[in-house]
Amino acid sequence: MPNLENKNSAQTAVSQYDDILKSRKKSRRANEFRKTIPMLLMMLPGMIYLICNNYLPMFGILIAFKKVNFSVGIIKSPWVGLDNFEFLFATKDAWIMIRNTLAYNIVWIILGMIIAVFVALCMAEISSRRIAKVIQPIICFPSMVSAVILSFIVYAFLSTSYGFINKSILGENAINWYASAKYWPVILTIVHFWQSTGQSSIIYMASIGGIDKGLYEAARIDGASKIRQIWHITLPLLRPVMTLLLLLSVGRIFNSDFGLFYQVPLGSGLLYSTTQTIDTYVYRALLELNNIGMSSAASVFQAVIGFVLVILSNWLVRVVDKDNALF
Amino acid sequence: MNNTEKYTRPAIRDERTFHNIAMVLMIILALYCLAPFFLMLSVSLSTEKALSTGGYSFWPKEFSGAAYDYLWTKKFTIGRAYALTILVTVVGTLSNLLLTSLFAYPLSRKDFKARNVFAFILFFSLMFNGGLTASYIVWTRVFGIKNTIWAYILPGALMGGMNVLMVRNYFNANVPYSIVEAAQIDGAGVFRIYWRIMLPLSKPVLTTVGLFAALGYWNNWTNGLYYISETKLYTIQVYLKKLMDSIQFLKSSDVAAESAALAFKAFPTESARMAIAIIAIVPILLVYPFIQKELVKGLVIGGVKG
Repeated sequence: MPNLENKNSAQTAVSQYDDILKSRKKSRRANEFRKTIPMLLMMLPGMIYLICNNYLPMFGILIAFKKVNFSVGIIKSPWVGLDNFEFLFATKDAWIMIRNTLAYNIVWIILGMIIAVFVALCMAEISSRRIAKVIQPIICFPSMVSAVILSFIVYAFLSTSYGFINKSILGENAINWYASAKYWPVILTIVHFWQSTGQSSIIYMASIGGIDKGLYEAARIDGASKIRQIWHITLPLLRPVMTLLLLLSVGRIFNSDFGLFYQVPLGSGLLYSTTQTIDTYVYRALLELNNIGMSSAASVFQAVIGFVLVILSNWLVRVVDKDNALF
Repeated sequence: MNNTEKYTRPAIRDERTFHNIAMVLMIILALYCLAPFFLMLSVSLSTEKALSTGGYSFWPKEFSGAAYDYLWTKKFTIGRAYALTILVTVVGTLSNLLLTSLFAYPLSRKDFKARNVFAFILFFSLMFNGGLTASYIVWTRVFGIKNTIWAYILPGALMGGMNVLMVRNYFNANVPYSIVEAAQIDGAGVFRIYWRIMLPLSKPVLTTVGLFAALGYWNNWTNGLYYISETKLYTIQVYLKKLMDSIQFLKSSDVAAESAALAFKAFPTESARMAIAIIAIVPILLVYPFIQKELVKGLVIGGVKG
């Protein structure tokens, strides 16, 4: 029998030990609970905001598949399937806004990269750091002003009866800028780069600043000219950043700067053929034409394509440079 | 002179020309960036007569402070718009910083098990959005923010996903976990650690996020365009926007422009319009020299991830 007794005592010991473990686990869990609750509380305001600002509007996508009638409410409004989309793509507007959005983006991405790299190269070549430190904030300043101010600036140049260009340069041959669509691709390009060049070159300046100076020293000793140094050292070393920014901008190719395309042309209806983008169309259909169906169809179209493009661009970034991928 | 011996003479001359060309080009670029502001300033300081005969020019043909005198007579309207802009900027920026850092801190805690779920919720909101139509309907129909001051503070501006990620990354990289652990052993709770350790140690990133938020609130005019129709609630940017609409009315017979034109009846002469635009830029211009370094830092980080 001693054996059995032994076994019994062993069992009680084990169960006692179990109890201790359990209570420890419990207290640990309580401890964790004590830590988790405050953290959840901390995230609460942000979560509420995300739900109101981001997630509720996602359900709003359903509006694009309804014929909204506010007198019966959105929820009771009848479903119409893809009608809104069919109407939208049957209009001339759809083609114009998609063409404009894509064309401006593609040209500006390519041109923007060339200009930004060029400016960064020039800034790096300025031998007086003092002067460079004054110039850099100046060329970044235009990005600090709003699109409304921008529209005042452009108006000062282009106003038909007072504008600097008509009065001081063209004189007799004054052009009615706000009624001539054909000039706006150039005007918007100039305005866009006036505003964004400083800002977009900063990232390249930072990368050039990080290049090992010893490389240039060695190239100089070998008698390499400045052009060759730039071509064989700087540009190859900038390539990863250039690729990264290029791929990331693919994700935004269906978006446009609403202020630039709406406010700078002063919303002029005569300029739609060259200034209408998806964003300005969504706004106009919603608040100027009160056509919620068309507006939400365009808006959902943009959101869905945008989502696919962001996934695509992130996947490409992942392939090229894993550290900089968003997810 | 040891250094110069290593290089051949033409190479040195070549480099010097390069430096000079680069400098000249960049000075031209800087002037090009500044010139439009100068044009605005010049217009605001011209007499109306000179403008109507000679048009806008880079140097006033006849100097006059009349435009600014005129604004002074409108000081209550403009002062109100200004005060509202400042209020929105201050309240918006502070709430933005609070929400952003409160959300970022738990995401940075490795012992917070649910952090991946919340990180995903945040990520997804960055990748996909309902678009303007849907958020307009949600904000106006569900929350009724039309013609309230909340319209300036809430939609799209309060907490940016990218900023949260930036702050979280800063917490992760720059606040050693051992400090947090030490504080925990001393019995500090989660809130105390956040408030007393994380925030003070993250001043640089919070400054950057705060500056961008403040600039965004100061310059925001789209929320005013979408949600505000009451003249009393105009911020300075919305005021300027409506002012521009009233010019438009002279050329078109648009209904919206007509109401704007009525609101600004007999307003502004050409120079006064530019003067008020100048007044909206001045605050940015005044703080810019002090904040530009921080902004540049933010742009370098945001440039890749933004």
